[in-house]
This record gives sequence, structure tokens and C-alpha cells, in this order.
Amino acid sequence: MPVEPTPPPEASRERTLWRLLQITWSHRSACLQLLGLQLIVVFLTVAVIVLAGVGIDFVRHCTDRNIPAPALPFFVPTDASERAVFVWLGVGILVAALLRAAISFVFGLVSVRFLHGRIVVNLRSQVFAKLQQLSFRFFDSNASGSIINRVTADAHAIRVFIEGVILQLAIIAITLVACAVYMLRTDWRLTLACLAVLPFQVWFAIRFSQKVRPAYEENRDLMDRMVLGFSENVQGIQVVKGFALEERILGRFAGWSEAIRVQKRKIFGEIALFWPVIDGLNRFSMAVLIGYGGWMVARGELALGTGLVTFAGLLQQFSAQVTTLASVVDNAQVSLAGAKRIFEILDTDPGVATEPDASSPGRFLGRVAFEQVSFEYQEKASVLRELSFVAEPGQRIAIAGATGAGKSALLSLIPRFYDPRVGRVTLDGYDVRQLPLQELRRQVGMVFQENFLFSNTIAANIAFGHPEATPERIERAARIAGAHAFILALPEGYETFLGEGGVNLSGGQRQRIAIARALLLEPTVLLLDDPTSAIDPETEKEIMEAMEAAMVGRTTFIVAHRLSTLRRADLILVLDHGKLLQAGTHAQLMAVDGHYRRAILVQSEGVTP
Amino acid sequence: MNKDRLEIAVRRIRPDEEEPDRLPLRWVTVTRLLAFTEPHRRQRNTLLGLCIFRAMALPGLAWLVGQIIKGPVAAGNGPATLQFLAVFIALFIIGDVALYWRIRLAHQIGENVLRDLRDKLMAHLLTQPLSFFHARRHGSLISRMVSDIEAMRNGIQNNFFITFVSLGQMSCAAALMLWANPSLFLVLLAIVPCLLLVHGFFRGKILHASRVQQETFSRVTSALAETVQGIRVTQGFAREDTNAGIFTRLVRSLADNVVKTASLTALYLPLLELNAQGFMAALIGVGGWAALSGTGTGLGDLVTFFFLADLFFSPISIIGAQLSEATLAMAGAERYFRLLDTVPAWSDAPTARVCPPLQGQVEFRAVHFAYLPDRPVLHGISFVAQPGQVIALVGHTGSGKSTIVGLLAKFQLPLTGAVLVDGHDLATLRQATLRQQMGFVFQQNFLFAGTIAENVKAARPAATDEEIRQAFRDLDCLDLIEALPAGIQTPCSEKGRGLSMGQQQLVAFARALLANPRILVLDEATSAVDTLTEARLQVALARLMKGRTCFVVAHRLSTIRKADCVIVLAHGHIVERGTHLELLALDGAYASLHRDFLSSTN
Repeated sequence: MPVEPTPPPEASRERTLWRLLQITWSHRSACLQLLGLQLIVVFLTVAVIVLAGVGIDFVRHCTDRNIPAPALPFFVPTDASERAVFVWLGVGILVAALLRAAISFVFGLVSVRFLHGRIVVNLRSQVFAKLQQLSFRFFDSNASGSIINRVTADAHAIRVFIEGVILQLAIIAITLVACAVYMLRTDWRLTLACLAVLPFQVWFAIRFSQKVRPAYEENRDLMDRMVLGFSENVQGIQVVKGFALEERILGRFAGWSEAIRVQKRKIFGEIALFWPVIDGLNRFSMAVLIGYGGWMVARGELALGTGLVTFAGLLQQFSAQVTTLASVVDNAQVSLAGAKRIFEILDTDPGVATEPDASSPGRFLGRVAFEQVSFEYQEKASVLRELSFVAEPGQRIAIAGATGAGKSALLSLIPRFYDPRVGRVTLDGYDVRQLPLQELRRQVGMVFQENFLFSNTIAANIAFGHPEATPERIERAARIAGAHAFILALPEGYETFLGEGGVNLSGGQRQRIAIARALLLEPTVLLLDDPTSAIDPETEKEIMEAMEAAMVGRTTFIVAHRLSTLRRADLILVLDHGKLLQAGTHAQLMAVDGHYRRAILVQSEGVTP
Repeated sequence: MNKDRLEIAVRRIRPDEEEPDRLPLRWVTVTRLLAFTEPHRRQRNTLLGLCIFRAMALPGLAWLVGQIIKGPVAAGNGPATLQFLAVFIALFIIGDVALYWRIRLAHQIGENVLRDLRDKLMAHLLTQPLSFFHARRHGSLISRMVSDIEAMRNGIQNNFFITFVSLGQMSCAAALMLWANPSLFLVLLAIVPCLLLVHGFFRGKILHASRVQQETFSRVTSALAETVQGIRVTQGFAREDTNAGIFTRLVRSLADNVVKTASLTALYLPLLELNAQGFMAALIGVGGWAALSGTGTGLGDLVTFFFLADLFFSPISIIGAQLSEATLAMAGAERYFRLLDTVPAWSDAPTARVCPPLQGQVEFRAVHFAYLPDRPVLHGISFVAQPGQVIALVGHTGSGKSTIVGLLAKFQLPLTGAVLVDGHDLATLRQATLRQQMGFVFQQNFLFAGTIAENVKAARPAATDEEIRQAFRDLDCLDLIEALPAGIQTPCSEKGRGLSMGQQQLVAFARALLANPRILVLDEATSAVDTLTEARLQVALARLMKGRTCFVVAHRLSTIRKADCVIVLAHGHIVERGTHLELLALDGAYASLHRDFLSSTN
């Protein structure tokens, strides 16, 4: 039975690239539409420059009749007077410019709708849906910050690839071809001379981006170290001040801060070199154009306006595009790295999922059995070993044992937060893996040590597992959990907003909301993972009462240290290093000289006068 | 009704900070920020010089191209063309060298200032009393240190210098055109109002749209953060589908806002460019007409304007972008300076002395204290603890137990009355030197990222590994630590994740022991560790407390029973004092607390 989430094989750059290309291909019609628009924009840009060139040549022709008149564009009437020609040319430029602006606008609109409105939205939703299904192992082994980054930043990877790599490369190509076609038609030797620096610029842009990116990544690591150190010292300020560590901390911080500065200096040489070199090469082309082109103009082989000046204008347009090459290379690297992480999530086997042949018996009684269960979070770090026991419907099972004995692990196998490696867990005789996952979890109510409440109203938090619940049902759950009274005392009662910008509840109040949340689903099985551990002893009593009420009529598993709880249990499981050491009632266990009795004696010695 | 509730969830998931992320430029803040370049004034002044040179060089080059074309090229003069060309090449090479240094120096200055800003903030924060940190969210301090300082970098490194160069470039180009042909320049000037109009119309709208977009984005992030943090609850309650629905809606509304912002930009940028091309149209139309009319406008002017116009128009959108970015830097700088200007609520008196070696006698003399003016926490607390005594502080939450130990450590100063150690008023002692002779075990034992050894060393940086081991041996728990994968070199990782609660406590004990304090302050953990570990902790604790004056905010009866004196607090008053047995015999407040205790634990 495939229970272990298998991490997908490390994807190679080529595979990621291939997948990105496939995705791009699936959006080919939108991409082609965008390219078509861009083609028109480039054409109109060239047209404006050429028309200006024609204008200059015509001025020259008018002032010096030896110079031949340029070929006038189609829209200038053949019988127009010389003055009218200028007006026509001006109008032509204006119309072309207006058209260009309009189409640029449409391009911007279409591209953002397609890229952000479709690609990013779909990807984010997909990744989010997948994230929620992943087993806890994934969340155990990834920092929450990096998970958040995957959905927010990395989801842009595919957009960046399409927009910043594929489309941008196509735009550069279109611009190059458009300019080159015009220039070649005029004079091929001059064209070659002007574009001679192009390969060098491409090489330099690629080299730049490859060199600078790793250096930036190194800097980010230094930055992370500084932030982590800072954050720790702020959180632990009491320790810093208590041990009079201010001077030392300041010195260490200055060290981290300085390291960032020193490392950055290395990058600056590269950054500072990039623009002058690209710019210098562009101007070098200009110099070649003027020198060589000027010589040709002097010999009458090239028109001043439509030749030289237009060439210069086109060259400017073209070099503006060439400079974006560095960002294209950069985008390619960023999007590949981001896409790799995104694909990793999308490809991860959720680990725990509903089996295809799962079926539901409808009603549950709440008989839970562990049969020779062994389990570990990580390979070779055994957490539970060959655990077997049976909990009859309605029984109260207490789990005792030292930290790390496997108490929480035992609980987490029942709602299938993890699957055991060996053995099986059954509910009413069904292997839990044979039950539909969501239905199983709805049968199992949970209250944790620390219970996360969402930024929402109290009612919504209680109805978390069943958003359609009626107010009456919510109130009933709250009453059993002993929360109704304090909720009513809050400014907006059940509609009071919790969390940031809302009301903050005390630890005991939060736990009672959590109990109500678990009870709303009327679970057959209730798991209480030491809900009083993070609570003031003074408020503990209130919660104990709520828990007592909650346990009535359900099979309850409770992790406990308190004697009072242990005494009332129908069965106590004593765990030690994942092994079931002893099982029985309090009276039975106290009757034998074992682990349990020793622990109880130590405890009563420490606690009672 | 559930529909409404989901709507609330979508609407009310809030962004982190309610503060504006952009602020208009304020002269005071700008100059204050620029004053940070003062320590690097040589670099800065060189940079300003380079900026001025660059501002002239670009229009100069464009003008030169115009001159070459209209002069020697149009006249067909080969040698003159080459001479001009040589000047052109020499000029652009010098210009690019200047550009190299301009970029490099700007980055260096930016980075230098950033380091100064970071160090200054850190030093400032460390002078603040503890109450300062309790009153602020941890995340907000991190944002000051990271994102606000990063925003200020842009202000210094880019916004200021680039605006400076661009403005210079515009004025030089304008001056050259005016000089070349005033009447054609008037045509150019006619375009400027259109430009300003377009810019003014869009600027506010784009700013607003991008702010809305940013807010939606924060909502997406916080929804996401909650989902990740609450994943156990979500999966446990089988809520995945509902959440996915909410999230998709959030992402969609974000995309809608992105589209809105982008539509504005998609209109704005082409309109700006249209102005440049509109000028080109006017240039050909009007210029050509004028050339024919023989008003002195010639071919040369058209060529010159052709090249210079771009240098006049393109800086406009650059300056616009820089100014809008500068508002980000401004908001960052305002927040940063506000934090930097927070005067510590109190600090050591200038006359404060180094704390002499202590015996450990502690006295509170009619101490009154309040965190908030109208909410007194302690009322006239007086007691004396002799060296070596164990004092247990008992009372309900909010009765003032932690405040007393805070005052003893000089984390706070009493409003009236005095706290004395060995007869010295704490107000006359320097806090750091006082605390060097005190030891602390807090309720939340914050451990730093690093190994156990490094954390214990915090108490005495010069301690050797053997001394650290000895500390654990003295606590009779070296075996527990050595049982860990790497012994005392086991990493604690952030917030002590990785070590169990009991192990963290032991590390905190060893840390306090290594300081070998005369006075030990102990805020007992409320949460129960399992019984066996608890027994070991009790042994270690007893060893740690031996021979020191101890103040314990007590939650364990076993601790209270051993105390030389139990001080029972209620609402900031001492209501009872005496030993455990004496107080039980009194059958008063303590006896009732004791009964509660027993009923909850047994």
C-alpha cells in the first residue's frame, strides 16, 4: 500500500524548461495575439522614424535642388505643393503615433488580462488547493515562510517565463528583423557595419546576468543571517538584558551588517560596468554609422534623412531592446528556479489521500483499534513500535508518558494525519485507510495543545468544520464547552472578530472555543491532546469542566498528566519511547510496581504538601 | 448565512500594517536622510560632480551628432567628418567612464548609509527598556529594520541622484535647443502642458490603484499565512474545499486589481510617448514649412532637434517614476525616524555607579508602580530578603508577581519608593553591571539559534566547554544533555525548537548557573512537563538555588513549600507573608489559593 509520500525525483533544468515550454505552447493563441499586436507597434515605430527621415530629405531637396527628392509615402497626394507635403508628413507621423499609442494600450490590456488574470490566478489556486491536501510531513519539513513564498512569488514564475522570456525574446527578434529589413533594403554594407557590435552586446548581457545573480543570492543569505539575528535578539530581549549582553550583541550585529556591505561592493563593479559598456557599444555603432554613412552621403550613395538619420533613429530603438537582454537572461533563471519549486508542489504525492476503493458505512459507533502499529516521522527514528489496543465505543482512554514517548503521534494516526508504516488503525472494524478521508475526519473531533483560531468571528470559528451550521447549533456547542457565557459578555457576542484587529481571548477562552469547534461536528471520537498544558493552573479548572462535558457519549483519547484525569479513565496507556509499557485502569496500574506507579509517586511527592 | 460569513472572511482578512506605504516628500525628512551621506561626503561630492557632468554629456553628444550631420556630412566634407567623429568618440568614452563611476559610487554610498542606518537602529533599540519591546509587535520592528531601510536605499541610491541627472539632462537639452532655434523651441514648449496634464491625471489614479492592489495582496498573504499555520485545524476539520473557494476568490480579486492598475499604466505610458512623437510631427510640419518660408530655420535645426528632443522627453517619465518611488522611500524614512526618535522611557542616571560585589540582600521600600498612569500595579510594597533566602511570590494572574521581579532586575523603575540591594538604591546603579550579578530563568526560556553550549555561554562568553559541562554536572543533569545526538554541541535552532520543553529549561538553568549570580530570579513555567522529567528539573532547580538569594514567581507547591518566605499578593498589595505552614495555619488568602491548587491538580 503506497502510504509514504514520495518526493518527486529532482527535476533537471531541461525538464523544467521543457515543461514551461509546453505550458507556453498550450497558451499559443493568446501569445500569438500579443505578438501580432507587438508586430504592429514595431512597424508603426519604424514608420514614424522613416517619415521623419523623409521630411529631412525633403527639406534638403527644397533648399538644394541638386539633391533628389525622396520617394514620398503613399498618402501624400502627387500634386501637393511643397508646403502641403510637410503638412501631410506631419499628419502622417501624428496618425502613426496615435495608432501606435492605441495599439500599445490594447497590448498592455490584453497581456495583463491573459498573464495575471488567467495564468497567475489559475496557478495560485492550483497550488493552494494542492497545498491543503499535502500531509503534515510537508509542513513539518518546510518553514511556513517558504511555503507562503511558493504561492505568492513562485506562482509568478510561469508568467515571468511567458512574459519576460518567450514574449520578450520574440519582441527583440521582431524589432531586429523590422529594423534590419528596412536597413538592408537601403544599404547592406552599412547595415552590417552598424550591427557588428550586436553579438558582443548579447554575450556581455548574458555574462553579466550569470555573474551577478549568484552574487545577489549570496548577499541574500547574508541578509537573512542579519534579519534572523536581529529578530532573535528582539524576541529574546529579556535574556539579552537579563544577562547584560547589549555590548556583545551590538558587536555581533555590526559584524553581520558590515558583511552585507562588504559583499555588495564586489557586485557593484559588475553592475557599474554593465551600462557603460552597453551604452558605449551603442554609441560606437553610432560613430560607425556617422563615419561610414557620412562618407556615403558625401559620395551621394546614401540619402541624409531616409538613410543616415533614419538609420540613427532605428539604431536607437534597436539598442533599447538589446539592453533588455540582460533582464531576459535574469528572468529565465528566476522563472526556472520558481517553476521548479512550483512543479515540486504540484507533483508531490499528498501522502495521505482517499483510496480509490474507499467506501463509507454511514454510521459509526466509535470502536477504535490499533493493530501492531509502528510509525516514524523520519526513517529510522522510530516513534511508535508495535502498538496494539482496543477502545470500545464511549470509553475514555488516557495516554500517559514522558515527552517524546509518542503520545501525540498516537493520536494523529486516528484521523490519518499520518499513516502507520506497519500495522493498521481501525474504526468500527474498518481500516481507516479504507474510509473516505474527509468523512473519517468529520467523525473525529480534535483539540490540540495550542489551538489555532482564525481571524474571523467567533461564530465562524466554532462553525469552522461545518460553515452551514445554524446559530442554534453553534450556541449549543458553545454551551457544552462552557464558552457561551463569556462569548455573550464580549462586545459583539458571537459576531466578535478574533485575531489581529479584533479581540484577543485568554488562553482558557481560546481552548474552550476550540472545544466547541470540535463538538459542533458531533464527533464519535474525540481527541484531546493535553489541552490544558499551556494554561495557567488557575484557569485549568474551567477547561477541565468543559472537557468533562465534551467527553460524554464519545470515545475519547486524552493525553494527560493530571491524576484526576487519569483516575477517571477507563483505560490508561503508558507509553515509553513509542512502546506500550502498561495498560489498565488507575487502580490496576497502582496495584503493580511499575513505571506508572513510580511516576505517580514522584508526582504526588512534588505536588502535594 | 454561511455565505455572509465567507464574505466576512474574505473582507476582513487584514493586511499586516495599517500604515500608509507612501508619503509625499517632506523637506525635513529628505534633508535628514541626506545628512546620512555626510560621513561619506567625499564620495558624495564626487558623485554630484559626476552627475553634473553626465547631465551635460548626453545632450552634448546628441547635439554633436546633429552638428556633424548638418555640417560636414551634409556638405560632403570627409576629413572634417572624421575630426568631428574623433571628438564624438573621445566624448562618449569619457562619458561612459563617468557613468561607470556614477553608478558605482551611488551604490557604494547607498550601501554605506544602509549599514549606518542598521547599526544606529540596533544601538538605539538596545538602549530601550523592556517595556518598549512589550508595547510593540515583533514584526513591526523587523519591518523597520528590513523593508523600511531597503526603501530608504532606493531614496538615496537611485531616486535622488537619478532625478538630479535627469533634471540636468532635460535642462541642458532645453538650453541647447533654445540656443539652436528659439522658435522651434516654442513648439516644443507647447507640448509641455499636455505632458504635465497627462502626468497629473494619471499619477494619482495609478498611485491609488497600486495601493488597492497592495492591500489585496496583503490579504492574499495573510490568508495564506493563516492557512499554513492552521493547516492542522483545516485538515482535521476537513475544510479544504471551502478554504480553496475563499482563496480563489481572493486571488481573483487581486488579479482584477492588477488588471486595473495595469490598464492605467497601459494608457499612461503610450500617451507619454505620444507626446514625443507628436513633437516629431510638429517638427516636420512646422519646421519644414518654416524652412520653405525662409525664416532662418534650416535643415540643421531639424536634425539637431531630432536628436535632442528625445533627451528632453524621455527624462520626464523617468523623473515621474523616481518621484513616485521616492514616496515609498519617504514613508519608510518617516517610520524609521519615528522609531529612532523614540526617547527611552527612562535610562540610567548619568551619575549611576558600577554595581559593587553583592552579598544578596534585597529590600523593597514602599514601592509603587504602574505601567499605565491610571492603572497602578503595585501599592506600597515593602519587604526585606536576607542573603541566601528563598522568597516565593504567590498570587493570581495580574496580582503583581512578575512586576516585583522586573523591578528587582531594574527592568523598570518604581514610581515612588526604592528597591535596594545590599543597601544600594538601584536607581544609583548601572543596570548592566547590576544584572551581571543576577541570574534569570524566565517563563519562556528563549534560546538563540546555535548550540546548547553557545546558549549557556551567553551568561559568560569566555566559558570553556568543560565549564559548561561542569555547570550541567552541578545541576546533576549532564547525563540528560550528553544523551542528545551531539551533547552540548546539539543545535537548539530557532526558539529552541528541537529541544523538548524540559531540555530547554535545563539549558536555561545552566545558563543562569554559569553566571554564578548572587541573586537569582526565577519565573516558574506554568506548563506541566511530564512527571519524570519534572522530577529531574526539581533536583536541578534545588541545586541552582542553593546559596543564593532567590525570588521565585511560583506555580509549583513544592517550590513554595521550600521557601523561607512566601509573599502573597492580591491586586498589587501584600496580603500575607510567612512560611508555607504559617500561612496555612492563618487560613486566609493563601490557604484558599492552596485549596484551589489541590483541587485542580488532584
